[in-house]
Amino acid sequence: MKVSLNWVKELTDVKLTVDELVEKIGVQLGAVEEVIDLGKKYEGIVVAKVVACEKHPNADKLQVCTIDDGGTTPDVKRGKDGLVQLVCGAPNVAAGLLVAWLPPGTVVPGSYDKEAFKLEAREIRGVVSNGMLASPSELAISDDHGGILEIDDAKPGDSFSKVYGLDDYIIDIENKMFTHRPDLFGVLGVAREIAGIQHKAFHTKFWDWNRLAKPPLKAELLPLQVKNELPKLVPRFMAQVIRGVEVKPSSSKQESRLSRLGIKSINNIVDVTNWAMMLTGQPMHAYDYDKVKTLSGGQATIVIRHPKPGEKIKLLNGKIIEPRPEAIVIATDKELIGIGGVMGGADTEVDENTKNIILECANFDMYSIRRTAMEHGLFTEAVTRFTKGQSPLQNDKVMLLAVNSIVGEEAGGDLIGEFIDIKGDIRPPVSVHARHDFINARLGLELGIKEMAKLLENVEFDVAINGPTLAVTPPFWRTDIEIPEDIVEEVGRLYGYDHLPLELPKRSLTPPHKDKLIELKNQIRNTLAAAGANELQNYSFVHGDLLDKIGQDKERAFKLSNALSPDLQYYRTTLAPSLLDKVHMNLKAGHNEFALFEFGKVHYKGEWEPGEPSVPLEDNHLALVITNNKNDPQQGSAYYRARKFLEQIADTSDWRWVPLADFDLNKDKWGRNVVAPYEPKRAAVIVQDDEIWGVVGEIKTDVARALKLPEYTAAFEINLGKISDFKNAYTSLPRFPKVEQDISLKVPAKVTYGELFGLVRSEINAKKPKHTITTLTPLDIYQKEKPHKQITLRLSIASYERTLTDKEVNGLLDEAAKAAEKKFGALRL
Amino acid sequence: MSYKIAEIANAAEVLKKRLAKLENRADVLKAIELRALYEEIKTLPPEKRAAFGKEVNLLKQELQELAESSKQKEVSKDPIDVTAPFDVNVPTDKRPQLLASDKGSKHPIMKEIEILSDIAQRMGMEVVESRHLDDDWHMFTSLNFPKDHPARDDYDTFMTMEGFIAPAHTSTMQNRIISARKKQLEAGEPISVLVPDRVFRNEDLDARHEHTFHQHEGVYVGKDVHVGQLLATLKTFLQEYFGKELEIKTQPFYFPFTEPSFEFAVSCPFCDKAGCKVCGEGWMEILGCGLIHPNVLRMAGVDPTLYTGFAWGGGVERLVMVKYNIDDVRYFMSGKLDFLRQFV
Repeated sequence: MKVSLNWVKELTDVKLTVDELVEKIGVQLGAVEEVIDLGKKYEGIVVAKVVACEKHPNADKLQVCTIDDGGTTPDVKRGKDGLVQLVCGAPNVAAGLLVAWLPPGTVVPGSYDKEAFKLEAREIRGVVSNGMLASPSELAISDDHGGILEIDDAKPGDSFSKVYGLDDYIIDIENKMFTHRPDLFGVLGVAREIAGIQHKAFHTKFWDWNRLAKPPLKAELLPLQVKNELPKLVPRFMAQVIRGVEVKPSSSKQESRLSRLGIKSINNIVDVTNWAMMLTGQPMHAYDYDKVKTLSGGQATIVIRHPKPGEKIKLLNGKIIEPRPEAIVIATDKELIGIGGVMGGADTEVDENTKNIILECANFDMYSIRRTAMEHGLFTEAVTRFTKGQSPLQNDKVMLLAVNSIVGEEAGGDLIGEFIDIKGDIRPPVSVHARHDFINARLGLELGIKEMAKLLENVEFDVAINGPTLAVTPPFWRTDIEIPEDIVEEVGRLYGYDHLPLELPKRSLTPPHKDKLIELKNQIRNTLAAAGANELQNYSFVHGDLLDKIGQDKERAFKLSNALSPDLQYYRTTLAPSLLDKVHMNLKAGHNEFALFEFGKVHYKGEWEPGEPSVPLEDNHLALVITNNKNDPQQGSAYYRARKFLEQIADTSDWRWVPLADFDLNKDKWGRNVVAPYEPKRAAVIVQDDEIWGVVGEIKTDVARALKLPEYTAAFEINLGKISDFKNAYTSLPRFPKVEQDISLKVPAKVTYGELFGLVRSEINAKKPKHTITTLTPLDIYQKEKPHKQITLRLSIASYERTLTDKEVNGLLDEAAKAAEKKFGALRL
Repeated sequence: MSYKIAEIANAAEVLKKRLAKLENRADVLKAIELRALYEEIKTLPPEKRAAFGKEVNLLKQELQELAESSKQKEVSKDPIDVTAPFDVNVPTDKRPQLLASDKGSKHPIMKEIEILSDIAQRMGMEVVESRHLDDDWHMFTSLNFPKDHPARDDYDTFMTMEGFIAPAHTSTMQNRIISARKKQLEAGEPISVLVPDRVFRNEDLDARHEHTFHQHEGVYVGKDVHVGQLLATLKTFLQEYFGKELEIKTQPFYFPFTEPSFEFAVSCPFCDKAGCKVCGEGWMEILGCGLIHPNVLRMAGVDPTLYTGFAWGGGVERLVMVKYNIDDVRYFMSGKLDFLRQFV
C-alpha cells in the first residue's frame, strides 16, 4: 500500500520528521517496505517562462529559446538581460509559455530510476544549450512525450516539484499487514492511524457531507433500471446517472496525485473514480450511459448476475474472457459489460466522446472476487481492496464524494435522479465490551480507563465508560473489531508496544518433561557421527519413478495433488528411496567410502495414528547406507558392515535376525515396502510380534543398477518407535581373574552361526558355576569345502567368588560341544 | 548365432566381449559400432541394403537378449548367514569396521535445533516434534483460519489427494499441545513447549527459498499472560542464543491465530545495529508472534477467560545461514558430503 505523505498531510497534521514518522509507522501500524523521496528526483528543476524563440541557424526542426527563471538558478551562463539560452525541439514551444526547465547539473527525472542522465551545458549544432525544457514523459509524470509540458499556474523561479506536489515522500507499507484492515487501503485510513499513533484526534470530515453539489434533475430524463439477482454476493449496489459531462484530461494536480501512487491518468471521469478509491479504499466504476443503452434491449438496464454458459466479455485491458460460472458479472439485459469488482468491459468504456455516464459504487463478496481474480489472473487495484472486505456502509458516502467532485469540479454535468441504492440487510458494527483491567492484564500495563478511551476515540471509535468497562462501538469501516481481544490490540498498538514493560513469566521448579524419542535420536545422531557416518536430510517427497525403481508399491504412498514437480509427488513410505538416491552423486563427487544416515517420518496409506484416528500413522524411522566404490572380496558381504553400524546404537544381543528370504511378507504389509530394495538372500529382518520393524542387508541387483550403486553397498532401516532405550548396560566387575578359552566346532554348512552361538551360549549359561560372568565372542568363521564350516568362539569367564581353573572351564566347553554334537552333529576340533 | 556378413560378425564378437564387462549391460546397445552399422545401411547400394539391414537387426536383438538374460542371472546371488557378525573366511583385519570419526557429521539444521531445544529446556520448556502430514483441522480450523479465508492462500500448502496437508507451520501442533496439557494447566503449572520441526510451503526453489524448511515454535499458556511477558521471553531466548545483549523491536502484524500479532526483530547481533550484509539496516526480523487467539484456546478446550497464552514461530535455516555464512539454502537438502562434512 503506497501512501503519499503530502496527501496524508492534507488530512492530518504531521509534526514528525519523515524518518521519525516511518519509524513510528513501522512500530505501530505495519512494516514499511520502502520510502521514496520524490523531491530528490526533481531537485533543481524550476518553472521558467519562454521569452523568445528563434529558428536554429543550423537545424530546421530546432528552436533557440531564451527563458526567464526569475534569476533563481545559480551557476548558469546568462545573457546581459539575465536570461538563459537553450535549444528546444518541441513542436509546441512558443514565447509566453510557462515550462519546466532542467538546468545543467540536474538529472532528467524520466531517467532517474534507470540510467540517470545528468544534463550539462553543451553545444547543439553550434549553439550552446543550457539544459533543456522537458516533456511530461521526461518529467515522469505521464507517458506524453509529444511536446514540452505547459504549466498553467505558477511563476518563473518556482520549484517545479512544489508546483506539482512532487516534493513528496511515498511510503510503501506491506499489504500483508492490512489483510484484515480494508480501511487502510485508502489514504484516509492511513492518515487516521497516523493521527492515532501520534495521540491526536482525527475526524473524517468527508463523512459529514450530506449535500449534493447540485440538485438532481428528474430521473425520466435518462432512465436507468438496475436489477440485482445476487443479493447475497452483492449486498449493496449504488448507481448514479450524470448527464452532459465534459470528458477531458484531468487537472495537473489530479494527474500528479494519481501518478505518484502509480495510477495512470485516463481522463477526468475515470480519474475521479480512482481518486475516490485511493482516498477511501472503496473502488468505483464509470460506464458510458449511451453505450450501455445501445447494448440494452430498450431502456438502459444493468443486471447483476452470474454469466450464462458461453458468455464472453472484452475487458478494459483488451482481453476477451469467458468468466467462471460463479463470477459476479454486470450486464445489460442482453450483454455482459463488466466483471463486478474486478474489471469493467471495453464496450462501455468512458472515452473522449462520452456525454452521459453511469457511476457505480458497490460492495462485492470478498471470497467470490478473490476466486474470480485468481482464476482469470486479474489482479487490479479494485481486487486488492474488495478482497479485504470493504464495508457496505461506506458506499453512499463515497458516492457523494465522487459525484460532487465530478459535477462540482472536474467535469460538470447534471445529476439525473436520486442515487439508485439496492441494498440488503446491512448492519452497523456491534459494540464490544472490554473491561479496563482485562486490557491492562493482557498488555501488562496500568493505563487509566479514560486514557484508553481517548486512544480509541482518536481514531473515531465511539466509547462509553460504564464503571470498569469500556463499551466500544467501532466506526463502520472497522469490520475487524469483534471481540475484547481486538480492543486489547487496538489500545496496545495506539499506545505503542515499544513502551510495554518487559517481565519474564514466573515459573516453578518443576523440570520440564523430556521427550524420549527426541533423546534417543540425539544419542543416535552423536553415536553415528562418531562412527564416521554423515547425517543428511532429504525431502519428504519423492518421484514415483524412484519408488518404481526401488520396487515399492506407490499406491500405498500419499500422493500430493499440487506437487511442484513430479520429483516431489509422493510422500515416502520408507526412507530408503531418497537415501539410496544420494549415493551415486557423492561417489561421482569423488568420495569412495562413506555412510549416510537420515532420521525421518514416514507414512503408509491405510494406517492411522493410534489415539488420533483422523490422521495417518506417522512413524519415526532411521536409515543408513554404507558404500565403497572398491569392492575388496576378502571383506565378504557389505551386509555385515551395515549391521556393525546398527549394533552401535542398540543392544542387539536378543534380536532375532531372520533371513529376509525366510520371512512370510503376507504377515506384514507395510513390511513389504520396507524390505523392497533389499536382496532377500543377503538381508535380515528384525521381527517382533510378526511385524518387521527393521531390515538390514545388501541392495537388490536391479535396484543397485537403477541407482548406480557399487557392489559393496548395504543399508539398514529401523522403526525408532520400537527401540525403547539407547544401548546402555553395565555389569559389575569381578575381583578375580578371568579365564579365556576357545572352542572350534565343525558343523554342517547349513547350520547358522546364530543357531550354534545361541546353543553354546545357553549351554554355558546353564552349566556354568554360580556367581560368574561370561562373554562369548566370535573369533573365526571358516569354510573350506561346501558341506562343512568351522566356527571358533572365545569364552571369557570370571567369578565374583574365587579363581576358576582352566580345567573346569575346558569342561564347560566340552559340555557345550556335546550339546552341539547332539543337536547339529558338531565336531569339536 | 552366426552372421553371414563378415563385418557384422566381427562387430558381434567385439560387442559381446564388451557386454560381459559392462556395469550396465544394456549400455552395449548404445555402442558406436552398432550405430555405425545402422548408418552404413544408408550408404549401401539398394540391392544389398535389405540383407545387411536384416543382419544388423538380428545383432541388435541378440545383444538385447544377452543384456536381459545376464540381468536375470546376476539376481541369483549366494545366500549369506545373516545371523553371523561377519562373513565366512574373512581375515581378522578385514572384519566389518566403522569409519573414521573425523569423517562423521551431524546435519547443521539438526545441530541448530539441538541448540535451540537446549536453551528452551533450560528455560523450563518441553520440546515436542511436529507432524509432517496433518489434517485441515489442525493446520487451519483449530488455528482460527475461517474457511475460504484469504489468509489460507499465504500458506500455499501442499495437499494429498485425500486432502491431508503437509503442514506449512509448526503451529499445526498447537491444538494438540494445549489440549493434552489441560490438566497440568488446571493444576497450576503453565504449558510451556518448544516445537522445532520440518514444515512445507508450495514455493519455487531458489537460493533463498525452499519448499521444505524448519521452524521453531514456542507455545506458552498460563494465567494472566501478557504481551510484556511474550517480549521478555523472546528477548531472553534470543539473547541466550546469540550470546549477547540485544535490543528488540515489534511491528504489528496479522495472523489469524494470534491477537494481537507481531513481527519481532532484534538488533543485529553481528554488527550491533551499524548495518551489515546480514541485516541490512541494523535489525534482524527473526520471527512472528502474538497472544494466542481466544478461539484457539477455546478449540483446545481451555477457557480463554481464565487462561491466556503467547506463541511464536521462526525459521531455523536463516539462523544457520547467517551463523556460518551459507549463501544458498538448497545445500541443506542436497545430501552433498562436501557440504555435510563441514559440520562436525
